[in-house]
Amino acid sequence: MELVVTRNFGRPESWTLASYREAGGYEALERVLKEMTPEDVSDLIKDSNLTGRGGAFFPTGLKWEFVRKDPKTPRYVVVNADESEPGTYVNRLSLELDPHMTIEGMIIAAYASNAERGYFYIRGEYGLSHERVKAALREAYEAGYLGQGICGRDDFNLEVEFRRGAGAYIVGEETALFNSLEGKRGNPRFKPPFPTNFGVWGLPTAINNVETLAAAPAIVMNGAEWFKDLGIGDAAGTKMYCLSGNVVNPVCVELPLGVTAREVIMDHGGGVPEGRTFKGFKPGGASSAPLTPAEIDASLEPKSMAELGTIMGTGGVVVFDDTACMVDAAYRDALFFEDESCGFCIPCREGTPNLVQICERIMHGQGTMDDLDLLEELGASMMASFCGLGHFAHQPVRGAASRFRDEFEAHIRDHYCAAGTCFTANGNGRAG
Amino acid sequence: MAIHHTELETPPGREPLPESERPKLETLREQLQPLKDLPGSSIEALYAAQELFSYVPPEAITLIAEELRIPESQVFGVVTFYTMFSLEPQPPYVLRVCRDLSCHLAGAPKLIGALEKELGVPRGHTSPDGRFTVEVVSCLGLCDKQPALLVNLDQHGPVMPDDVPDLLGDLRNGAG
Repeated sequence: MELVVTRNFGRPESWTLASYREAGGYEALERVLKEMTPEDVSDLIKDSNLTGRGGAFFPTGLKWEFVRKDPKTPRYVVVNADESEPGTYVNRLSLELDPHMTIEGMIIAAYASNAERGYFYIRGEYGLSHERVKAALREAYEAGYLGQGICGRDDFNLEVEFRRGAGAYIVGEETALFNSLEGKRGNPRFKPPFPTNFGVWGLPTAINNVETLAAAPAIVMNGAEWFKDLGIGDAAGTKMYCLSGNVVNPVCVELPLGVTAREVIMDHGGGVPEGRTFKGFKPGGASSAPLTPAEIDASLEPKSMAELGTIMGTGGVVVFDDTACMVDAAYRDALFFEDESCGFCIPCREGTPNLVQICERIMHGQGTMDDLDLLEELGASMMASFCGLGHFAHQPVRGAASRFRDEFEAHIRDHYCAAGTCFTANGNGRAG
Repeated sequence: MAIHHTELETPPGREPLPESERPKLETLREQLQPLKDLPGSSIEALYAAQELFSYVPPEAITLIAEELRIPESQVFGVVTFYTMFSLEPQPPYVLRVCRDLSCHLAGAPKLIGALEKELGVPRGHTSPDGRFTVEVVSCLGLCDKQPALLVNLDQHGPVMPDDVPDLLGDLRNGAG
């Protein structure tokens, strides 16, 4: 299977310009600037069916076209590297091991969007990524890939500023990221207007995830059909899937978009540790509702995940074995969203602690069957939240309560926890 | 009219900067000069302050507001929004342990317990020697190293409870 975004990971000093160039780096940019118009580039990316790898899966080429067609200037291109979804570390690996591929993708995006300014925004906790990306941006400036008159084209300029966050999941939401770039609290903004017309500083902005941008150079070099064919069925291209939780190998693998969860978990993750039983998995980070072993042959791509009532999300696959309590797992996600809710809108600010409390009641033997209905009601109210955090925060808890109903009922009716983590002296103390 | 930071009172409930630390405000002022040309750089300004003082003192908030020409309320809002900024002095080593699902399944609660035991203080408190504090935080994106933690910005993982004495020992000896 052909690798796209991780193909240089094994190279010595893969994060340097010298190594990236040796591997054919920046040839795509040169080709774009010599042979293609901005329209050609966005059309190519549209034809390739490349979609946003951050989890929204919006068509990337279309985004660039929207930005280009907005007459307001200056236009911006922003790299969203605020990767903070629990169970997800794919962007971190790209930033640490191959920052130039994302930078090349960013420059191609800027050309296609007719943007002349950019930000590279990385979450505050990714210290090594900061170093590698800052060094790579410096190298790119020195080599003439960034700045004024890129690659000898005096009509193409791109000034990129490096920025880091300081600890806030919500800033991964694109409009919250704009507020953060503007030096404000990272609360999300109302959409519409969408970033393509009203992004950072109120100007047209192409904001893309690291993995999305990193795919662009290879598409330029190999063509739209090549990329499309890499995916399975209707899904185009590859995806970095990363494993964690009760899995033998917590690794990241690049595979065709649309592989089965079985292939990811069993073939690449090595399944659950010996002597334990596979109990379920989350397909894409905290926001995704968990699935059962019966669903392990489902394709990890947006459409089939939606059909199962969950989301593809970030590709952060979290595996559960029989030592994991699904109420406890739901509780962990609820705690995360409670902590990370920005507190700006009521349904999310009040809903997330309510999710925590319901889980706590059930885990401490004070839950009732009414709590399960309350969960549904609460979820419906939280759909009135201002942004996606509130829309998704209840999904993992409700999803766990419906797919692992027996376990929730056993906690409520019999005060029984099959995993043995609840109802014990030190089993479910609130860890954070 | 420009308001000089020294004329402003310390907000209620917050300690003013000790006299001995005040010269660093001039260093901060110098460091803020290049940021004036970069609109929206309050996060970088606050990092500069925190690097100098180990936290963001009230005087730094006033100074940043003044130099970057943004409302003081906005700077304070940014400090309190992002978890990596502290309004209290911080020890040299801040250990941020992930408490989210993957690390939790891999044994984060036991790791947190071992750190608390070894340091003799619960999370959020500074150890008696004044050098460490343990914070329990959201996913650090180190799930391939589960259970994972950051020592300041250095990645560590997987860290098992048995590894804790060595980890802290290395840091105490300056090898971290």
